Amino acid sequence: MSEQLIGRYHGDKKTLFWLVMKTSFLTLITLGIYRFWAKTRIRKYLWSGTAAGQDSFEYTGTGLEKFLGFLVAIVVLAIYLGIVQMILLFFGLSLMADATTTAGQIAQIASIYISFFAVMPLIFFAQYRARRYKMARTRWRGIRFGMDSAAWGFVWRAIAHSFLTIITLGLMVPRQTFKLEKYMADRTWFGDAQFVQNGRWQSLYPGLKHIGIGFLILIAAGAVGVMLDVIGAAIFLVVVGYIWLIFGSVYYRIFALNYLTGNKLLNGQIGFYSGGQAGKVVGIAIKGTLLIALVGGVIGLVFAGVGAVLLNSVDFQKPSEFMGVIGGALGIIGFVAYIGFFLLLSALSFIWITQPIIGHVVENMSLSGAEHLDAIQQRSADAGADADGFADALDIGGAI
Amino acid sequence: MTSVSCRYFVGATGRRLDVDASLEHSEFLRLSHPELPNGLLRWPLKDLRALADQARTDQIVLSLRADTAIDSALIEEARLTVDDPQLIADIKMLCPELGKRDLPEGSGRKIVTRIGMAVGAIVLMIFVILPAMANTLAYIIPIKREVAYGKAVVRQMERFFGGSTAGELVCSTPEGDAALAKMVARLTATSPTDYELNVSVMRHEMVNAFAAPGGQIVFVDGLIQQATSPDEMAAVLAHEIGHVVSRDATRGALRAAGSAGLLSMVFGDFAGGTAAVVIAEYTLNASYTREAEAQADTFAHNMLEAANVSTIGMADFFGSLNGLEDEMPDLPIYLSSHPDTQERADLATEFAKGQGTTTPVLDDAEWNALKAICD
Repeated sequence: MSEQLIGRYHGDKKTLFWLVMKTSFLTLITLGIYRFWAKTRIRKYLWSGTAAGQDSFEYTGTGLEKFLGFLVAIVVLAIYLGIVQMILLFFGLSLMADATTTAGQIAQIASIYISFFAVMPLIFFAQYRARRYKMARTRWRGIRFGMDSAAWGFVWRAIAHSFLTIITLGLMVPRQTFKLEKYMADRTWFGDAQFVQNGRWQSLYPGLKHIGIGFLILIAAGAVGVMLDVIGAAIFLVVVGYIWLIFGSVYYRIFALNYLTGNKLLNGQIGFYSGGQAGKVVGIAIKGTLLIALVGGVIGLVFAGVGAVLLNSVDFQKPSEFMGVIGGALGIIGFVAYIGFFLLLSALSFIWITQPIIGHVVENMSLSGAEHLDAIQQRSADAGADADGFADALDIGGAI
Repeated sequence: MTSVSCRYFVGATGRRLDVDASLEHSEFLRLSHPELPNGLLRWPLKDLRALADQARTDQIVLSLRADTAIDSALIEEARLTVDDPQLIADIKMLCPELGKRDLPEGSGRKIVTRIGMAVGAIVLMIFVILPAMANTLAYIIPIKREVAYGKAVVRQMERFFGGSTAGELVCSTPEGDAALAKMVARLTATSPTDYELNVSVMRHEMVNAFAAPGGQIVFVDGLIQQATSPDEMAAVLAHEIGHVVSRDATRGALRAAGSAGLLSMVFGDFAGGTAAVVIAEYTLNASYTREAEAQADTFAHNMLEAANVSTIGMADFFGSLNGLEDEMPDLPIYLSSHPDTQERADLATEFAKGQGTTTPVLDDAEWNALKAICD
């Protein structure tokens, strides 16, 4: 009889809200330095809120190691990016013909894209390193996760898959999703136990159905607009098509997550199940966005009202020497309120969108064969040299 | 003292032991289980550390302070999860250093060396390597390409001044053009340049003139109106030719491209980060150009001298510019892209004392035609 463990999420809105507000404020007043500690604390919170059965995950990363890793990444990237960007502009200038001709414009666009391709390997490199670091600093039941050091293998595969996806106009997306996830999953460990990604990439195709429907609606919109010349209906169909595409991409991500999780195996004995629903995720996102818009709107109106009252109460006909001081103070208060407003919105999106989605996904996951977990041995620690530093310097991955 | 059951993870394996935990003499946390070595563990209360920023409020997760960091914080691998409210309360009361974050030895030194390395790399790049590369590349670039780029920059400026189509703001009258051509010819006859100079006038009240890459020189009409003699305008023209000859605009663009990515990387992605990047970049570019401006002034002195034009015009022009600046709030010197204008005026006056006989660059009729070029 296989023992099952069900995913549980224990995070609560109030604590996370104040944690995000506090850490973003500290990030702001330290000119961004605190961001490494902020990211660490939020991860600690989310990880500790996530449990399989009774036992929570633990995030063991530290802000200090992220800061030190960032400094290492700076040294490498300063040299690489500075030189590469200048050489690219040099060739960009050489390519720059008269921008009034079509050929000249194409040459200019090309020079912009060349610089994008120069950074692409670094972005994939940072992506793999960031996931490896996250794994190395995650524990469950005291046992470490970990990933092999294989970032460059990921880089060339990711570039090749992206290229294939682009030249097949997106038809190879499932292959890219599957193969890249398999590359990473097969190199992931829990203690001395290795993960294996089973399954076939072709099985991800059904996940694309809503994206397909979205495209069909857009094509229909074009047909209605051009052939039947009914502009109102065409615009309506375009809007519906775009919304369907957004829903379709969420559907694909959840479908892929469920399929890939369900076909992972740990140590050949421990299996997983994931049953998140795209409809629920989209529902959470819509509800959260509406709530945030409502709060943002109300606060915006209050600000505008207070501002109008203050302006009216000042007599501009009789300037006094205090007016400059008062004006300056009001300016500072306004600026602080403006920044605080954005901090508030980002904290709200954490508790109304990010956290509920994590909660939904986690609570619909489970693990079978838990009786084999006791046999797993600890793995040695990963020094994790750059600790997210490259990802941070290249702006990948956001807050978590 | 009564003992309660807690979840204990050994750390070395995935085993979970349900240990009996109790406090011993307010000094130790006593853990007992048949499978522990000797069936017993004593954790000193002063070395207990609780994990921070936990989502679950119904439990605390404890570990012990370690002497060396294994992979992260200075704590042991073993974990003890306590969910008995009474024991949690007792531990919180008896352990003063429960929330302490111990730092590995040598952390301070490590931080200082790494910051030093990072700052060193950035300073080296921005102030040594990038400028040196920009200098070299600016001279490698073919003049033809530089001209194409310069024309694009001029169009960009025109859009900035409010012109919707190319050439919309460019002023031209037969007499005005002839006067401008005469001024250019007078200066370049005695000091030829590699560039085919393309001097034009744009309709806008701003008092300014600029040299785009590839010999594209633009006078803004506000400057022509501000000038009180043709020699003043010739001084500005000579100054801009100085920029053209030393390829300052091209060099600046190359340097900006190299340092822009660098700076946004350092400041990262946080609220207000963009502003910090812009300010840092502006200061940086200003410090580049202050040196370039002084060099262009020296070039102008020599060019005017060779063409027998008095540099008094230059002194006058900077003098009147100084008056204009007095109406604006003072910018700190390192934020101002041009050297102190009074100082520049004084240098020009000084230079004029050593000049031989000079003649005005245009006669009155020509000067009036040039002043009316935008009417």
